[in-house]
Amino acid sequence: MFGSAGRDAAKVEIDARRGGLGVLLAFLAPALIIYAGFTIYPVLRTFYNAFHAIKPQGVVEFVGFGNFTALLLADPVFWKAVTNTALFTLVATIVDVAGGLLLALCLFARAPLAPLLRVIWFTPVLMSYVVVGILWVWIFDYDWGLANASLRWLGLGALEQSWLGQPSTALWSVLFAHEWKWLGFNMIVFLAALHALPAEVLGAAELDNCGWLAKLIYIIAPMLRTTIGNLIVLSFIGKMMVFDLIWVMTGGGPLWSTETVSTYVYKRAFEWNTFDLGYPSAIAVLWFVIILAFVAIVTRALRQRDRLEF
Amino acid sequence: MHAFSTMRSLAAASLIVCPALLGTLPAVHAQDVTLEVWSHEADEPAKVAFRELAARSLERAHSGVKVKITWYEKNPLFAALKTALPAGKGPDVFYLEPDQVEYISAGYIIPLDDLVNWNNIEPWARKVWTHNGKTYGIPQEAYTVELYYNRDLLKKLGVALPANAQFTQAQFLDLVKKARAAGMTPISQGVGDRPYPGAYLTVEALLRKLGPDDYQKLFTGKLSFADPRVVEVLQWVKEVVDAGAYPKNFMTLKLGESHYYFYTKPGALLLPMGSFYTGRAFVPEDKGGQPPDFPLGIMQFPSMDRGACNECKTSTIGASFAINAASKQKQLGAEFLNAMSTPQMGKMWIETVYLQTGIKADVKSFSGPHATYFTELMERQKGEKYFIGQPRDMVTGECKDTFAQVLNSGFPGGLLSVDQAVGMMNKACYKG
Repeated sequence: MFGSAGRDAAKVEIDARRGGLGVLLAFLAPALIIYAGFTIYPVLRTFYNAFHAIKPQGVVEFVGFGNFTALLLADPVFWKAVTNTALFTLVATIVDVAGGLLLALCLFARAPLAPLLRVIWFTPVLMSYVVVGILWVWIFDYDWGLANASLRWLGLGALEQSWLGQPSTALWSVLFAHEWKWLGFNMIVFLAALHALPAEVLGAAELDNCGWLAKLIYIIAPMLRTTIGNLIVLSFIGKMMVFDLIWVMTGGGPLWSTETVSTYVYKRAFEWNTFDLGYPSAIAVLWFVIILAFVAIVTRALRQRDRLEF
Repeated sequence: MHAFSTMRSLAAASLIVCPALLGTLPAVHAQDVTLEVWSHEADEPAKVAFRELAARSLERAHSGVKVKITWYEKNPLFAALKTALPAGKGPDVFYLEPDQVEYISAGYIIPLDDLVNWNNIEPWARKVWTHNGKTYGIPQEAYTVELYYNRDLLKKLGVALPANAQFTQAQFLDLVKKARAAGMTPISQGVGDRPYPGAYLTVEALLRKLGPDDYQKLFTGKLSFADPRVVEVLQWVKEVVDAGAYPKNFMTLKLGESHYYFYTKPGALLLPMGSFYTGRAFVPEDKGGQPPDFPLGIMQFPSMDRGACNECKTSTIGASFAINAASKQKQLGAEFLNAMSTPQMGKMWIETVYLQTGIKADVKSFSGPHATYFTELMERQKGEKYFIGQPRDMVTGECKDTFAQVLNSGFPGGLLSVDQAVGMMNKACYKG
């Protein structure tokens, strides 16, 4: 019915990429509106709140840097939360990346039962932190938990602990639960990166009698530099904002020993008999700036100047 | 041509988007009125049935009115309210507890003095919600703080309950030691999901030692925790804790689990708990309730040496309801509150929830499977002087957080010395 010229004309008419600004806006608007409403506005509002005291009935009082001064100079719980978060972030990031790489290498080297291990190690990643938290609260329970039961079974009953009830062990116990859940994710990312490495380079290293450790340090790790850098940044951001696992497992206790910046923001916003979102917003803004600065530093430090070609 | 094709594309996009949006909008009839209610206690069937009955009753009385109750757990409910109300949104009527005075100072709830029929409410219960001469909440649930015990285990230890059902502080300490020596957990208690149960023993002892006035001063920042009487109480509690009173999983045991721990597995001698114990215990056993033949008893908290008020007891209001200041249906909201507060509903509350109430209810004798329990509960109220309110009703902000971390968990959990507890509480709470 149509000639080739007619078909071309029809193609032009339905090609959205050739449409005007109006067409583009019509298709982009729903996503942009949702993004503006649920991301951009809350972020801007948080910045605004941070410099104000939010009083009842919509009364807003400008306080300048008052909230920041108060939390930096007169809030010991904030500093406790900062210390805990920093410790959690540092250790968890190192373990996440190093552990994920080790597990991936184990699978890459075709360890016995590798397909089964891959499923076992990755399955916890599919669970929500809430489920993982509840599960590990049971495991760490003093009386009927698997952790203490195992110790008793091994004849190490003297080591049994109230793992989540002691300030000295609570944060490490939560960290352990986090690693159980998250190591599998890094493992899968590393495994994909390992499979993308050029076989000739690895083969040449083997021909040169390069040992496995030397091969890891001098051949594999440099070629995985970008992947490692990305995982460090992702892990760092995630840990700096850790909330759900802590909230489910300890609620920040005992004695603030697992309080993190995120749990403290929540408590200040919703559990302090106040509707003032100014102070918790100031904590959130300060933390956002710190995370941004650290990410910029880490990204710069890990930037690869000489791009590897393979 | 290009402009024409653009318009056609826009029209096509509109045809796709508009019906999708319109499809999400419900059809609204002018005569329909929906009263939105947000309530806690989704996990307590008797309370759910009670409030749903009042809702249906209001719907029958007003054609075209629908009462929609959204059921929450406590923390998500309050988080939702704290974001909805400042935005001028939220339900017409919502669940609230008397310690949440910030809703009053913020002006998010309205005085109910001229809206609600107060003839059906106990004056003492109304007083809990009265601030600056105005009443902001309708009290529904009332409870006392009780010390439940397992009669068989007490008998097994060869200990007899005194005639006034109250041990001295020395006898109580001895009882804890005996129970521990016999391989029992003396007190089932956990702070895994609540900021208050771990403090029951301490605050009840403080109330008896100090008497109501000084007790109130202590938790309103006017009396130091270094007061010798307070220190004496904390030293006694420390002895009880060090004697192994609490379970080893005290820090992670949740409120509901502490009930199960007490009456089912592994079993414990004592359970300090609000008389809302019944909400969890008096449900079928397969839903976590106590066994039908469980030998439940109630004793008084121990008397303190040289106590200013050993017959004192904490009583307070729990579940209450308030009306949103931004509601367009305040009168209808008030009628829902009235529907929940008739003497018949008060009677139903007592007979189904097995708990005290702020609603006037003419119940002279109790019937039903738990009548013995309720009779004993009433027996334990004879001659008692009530202190209305709990520490968490009096403390706010940093003091509230420190109370939860120190008196609720760290101190009874054996993590703090008396001096450390005194220092931390004073730093956060004492304004002297």
